[in-house]
Amino acid sequence: MNPNARMSSLLPPLLPLLVSMGVFELAVRSGWVPSYLIPAPSEVVRSLIDDRLELAMAGWTTLSSALVGLLLSFSAGTLFAIALSSSDLARRAFYPYAVFFQTVPIIAIAPLLVIWFGFGQPTVIASAAIVSVFPIIASTLLGLKSTEPALVDLFTLYSATTRQMLYMLKIPFALPQIFSGLRIASGLAVVGAIVGEFIGGGGLGSVVDSARTQQRIDRVFAAVLISALLGVVLVGAVNFVSALTLGSWHTSERKP
Amino acid sequence: MNFDLHPEQSKSGAAVLCEGISRAFTGAGLVLDHITFQIQPGEFVALLGPSGSGKSSLLRLTAGLDRADEGRLSIEAGQEAVSRGFVFQEPTLIPWRNVLRNTTLPLELQGWETDKAEARAEEELRRVRLVDFAARYPHELSGGMKMRTSVARALITRPNLLLLDEPFAALDEPTRHALQQQLREIWTALGMTVLFVTHSISEAVFLADRVIVLSQRPARILLDSAINLPPARTAALRTSLNYVQEMSRISAAVPIPEANA
Amino acid sequence: MKFLIVVALIFSPGIAGAAESAKAAKLQFALNWKAEPEFGGFYAAKLSGYFQQRNLDIEITEGGAGTPVVQMVANSKVPFGIAAADEVVISQARGTDVVALFAVYQINPQGIMAHPERGFKSIGDVFNTPGRLAIQSGSPHALFLQNQFRGYKVTFVPYAGGVATFLTDPNYSQQCFVTSEPLIVRKKGKPAQSFLIADAGFKPYGTVVIARRQYLEKNQKQTRDLIDAVREGWIAYLRTPEPANNLMVKLNPAIDGDTMKEAAEVQKPFILPSDASPQELGKMSVERWKTLADQLSDIKLIKTKPAADKLFRIF
Repeated sequence: MNPNARMSSLLPPLLPLLVSMGVFELAVRSGWVPSYLIPAPSEVVRSLIDDRLELAMAGWTTLSSALVGLLLSFSAGTLFAIALSSSDLARRAFYPYAVFFQTVPIIAIAPLLVIWFGFGQPTVIASAAIVSVFPIIASTLLGLKSTEPALVDLFTLYSATTRQMLYMLKIPFALPQIFSGLRIASGLAVVGAIVGEFIGGGGLGSVVDSARTQQRIDRVFAAVLISALLGVVLVGAVNFVSALTLGSWHTSERKP
Repeated sequence: MNFDLHPEQSKSGAAVLCEGISRAFTGAGLVLDHITFQIQPGEFVALLGPSGSGKSSLLRLTAGLDRADEGRLSIEAGQEAVSRGFVFQEPTLIPWRNVLRNTTLPLELQGWETDKAEARAEEELRRVRLVDFAARYPHELSGGMKMRTSVARALITRPNLLLLDEPFAALDEPTRHALQQQLREIWTALGMTVLFVTHSISEAVFLADRVIVLSQRPARILLDSAINLPPARTAALRTSLNYVQEMSRISAAVPIPEANA
Repeated sequence: MKFLIVVALIFSPGIAGAAESAKAAKLQFALNWKAEPEFGGFYAAKLSGYFQQRNLDIEITEGGAGTPVVQMVANSKVPFGIAAADEVVISQARGTDVVALFAVYQINPQGIMAHPERGFKSIGDVFNTPGRLAIQSGSPHALFLQNQFRGYKVTFVPYAGGVATFLTDPNYSQQCFVTSEPLIVRKKGKPAQSFLIADAGFKPYGTVVIARRQYLEKNQKQTRDLIDAVREGWIAYLRTPEPANNLMVKLNPAIDGDTMKEAAEVQKPFILPSDASPQELGKMSVERWKTLADQLSDIKLIKTKPAADKLFRIF
C-alpha cells in the first residue's frame, strides 16, 4: 500500500482515539475526574505492561473457552436451524425456545451452570455457548430462507432430494448470512466466557473480579481492553474464513 | 386424447393438454380462468399476454412447480418419459459454479457421473456458442451470456418440453434478436415442444408457430392462432410485410391496458 | 387562582424544610449490606430515639454487593457510612482521608466454613487439603491467607455469596461470617464447621463507622453525638435485640426472625468480650491499626503505609 493510502486508512480511526486518550489523561491528572471512576490511560498502559504475563495467560484461557463455546454453539445452532428450516410446523413449535437463549440473563443462570458443570472451564464454555447460540440460529434460518426462489424451482424441477437441495443449494446460499451471525456470536462468546468466569473462575473474568475487589480500576480496564481484543481476534478469524469460503462470488466479499 | 402428429416435425416433443385449468392465489384472486388448449408434439407455441396476466403461473403449472385448483393438465411423450427444461426470467445461475458446472447441474441432480455430464455440457455450450467461456464464473459474464448458459442448462437433459419465461426481456435489443434466432435454430435442430411466455408481440410472432393470447387477470384465452410465416425465421423477416401483417393481426387481439394499469 | 395554588405547592416543601432544618439535620448513614444483626445496634439507636434525643435525624440506608460506601463518604455524598477496616487503610494509602470512628466487632467474625466430615482442625488444614475453597478473590483476608499458607493445595473458586454450593458439594469450603452462614446451613439440616480467620493471625476490627476527616472536624459535636447514640444503641441491642430484629426482618426478608435472633445472640462475644465494660463498646487501639497496616503492606495491597493514628478517631 502506498504511504498516502496507508495514512488515509490508519488516520481516521487513530485520531479520535489519540484525542480522547489525551483528554482523559488530563482530566484524571488534574483531578477533575476521580481516578476511581476512570483510570488515567497512562495507568492502564502501565498495568498492561506490568501485568502482561498474567494478562496474556488469562487472555489465552478466556480465548480458548470462548472458542470452544463458539464451536459448540455453531454446531448446535446450525444443526438446529437446518432442522427447523425444513418444517414450518417445527419452526413455529421450537423457534420461541431459541429466542429464550437470547433473552435469558446469563448472570442469573451462571450459578446454576456451576452446579451442573462444576467450577472451571466447563462452566465457562457452557456460558459462552449459551450466550452466543441465538445469533447463529437466527441468521442461519434467515439464510436458509433466502435462497433465490427460482433456483429452488430449478432444483424442484429436476426432482432434487432434500439432501441435494440442502447441501448443493440452500447451505451454500446461506453462507453469507451464517458468517454474519458467526461474527456477532464471536463477540458474544467472549462476553459469555467472562461472565462464566466470574462464577466459575479462571481467565480474564477472575482478573477483573480480583481487581475490582481491590479497587484497582486500572487493572480492570487493562483486562477489559484485552477482552475487547479477544473479540476482535475472533471476528477477524471469522472474516478470514468467510473470505476464504465465499471467495469472489459474493457481492459482500468484492471490493467496491 | 387426440394428437395430430405432423410428419415433418420430429417425434421427440411432448404433447401438452390443458383442460379447464383454473388457479387462484390468496391476495391476487382468480388468476387463470378455465384455460383450455392443446399443444402438439414439437410445436413452438408463444403464450402472449400483458404483465401480471398469469402467463408465468400457467408456465409453472406446466412445469409441475405448482398445482391447479381446477381442471386437468396432462403432458404426454408417447413411449418416452416426459422431461422438462425451464429457462427463467433471470438466468438464475449458481454464483459459485462456473459455466460448465452450472450447465451440468441437472445431470448432477439426476446422478450422472461427472465426466459424462461435463461432456454433455460441452455439447450444449457449443450449441449456444459459449463453450470458450466454460471456465468463467457468472459474475464475469454479460447478461446475454448468462442467459445462454441458462438455455444450455435447460437443454442438457434433452427435454421433450422446453419452457421459457420471458427469458430475453432484460437484454438489449441486438442481443435479444440474436438469441431469438439462436433459439429458433436450436428448436429446429432438436424438435422438442416449446412453450415460450412473453409480453412482446414482435417476439411472439417472430419465434412461434402458434400464439395463444391471454387476457388480463382473471386470464382467459382471447386468441389461439397459428402464425402464417415461413418456418425459417431470419433477420430479414423482421422487416418483411408478412411479419408486420401478422404482428398487426395478433396485436388486435391483445387487450389494451387500462389507463391506470 | 389555580396558578397561585400551584406556586404555593411548589414552594411549600422548601418552606417546611427550612423550618425543619432549624430542628434537626437530616443525615444519611450508609450501610454496606442489607439489614442484619451486624447492624442491629444502629437500628436500635434509631428505634430507641437516641439519635432524636440529640437532635439528629438519621436515615439508615441499606447497601448491597458493590455499594461503594467509602467513595460515597469520601465524595460527601453521605456523611457517615459502614466499611471494613482494611478499606479505611487502603483508602488512606491512596490519599482519601476517611477515618474510622466506631468498631462494631472487636473480634472479626470473618471465617472459613467447612464440612465437619472432612476432619479439619484449623484453617491451615483447609488450605493444605485438595478441594475447593470459595473466597472473594483479591480481598485482604484472601490475600493474607494465601500468603500465610503458601504452597496451599486447595483450589480457589469464585465466591458468589449464599450457601447453595456448600450444601451440594461435599468438597467445598467457603468464606463466611461465623455468626451467619453456619447458622443458615444448620437450619437447612446440614452440619457446618467454622474457623475464625482472626485465629490465623488476621484481626482487623469488624464493621467500622467512617466519616471524612474534614467533615468531622467541621462537625465535631454532631459526630460525638452520633457516636454516643450509636454506642447506646448497641448497648440496648445487646440487651434486648427484639425491636431492632423485628424491624430488620421487615427490611430484609431474606433472613427470617429465628435466624436473626440466633445470629444476634451468637455475635455478642465478638462485639463485647465478656470482661469489657459497655462504655468500651466500639473503641479501637492504635496497635491493632498499626498491625493491620503492616499486614496489608506485606501482602502488597498498599504501597505506602499510612500512620496508624491517622486511621481512626476515638469519641
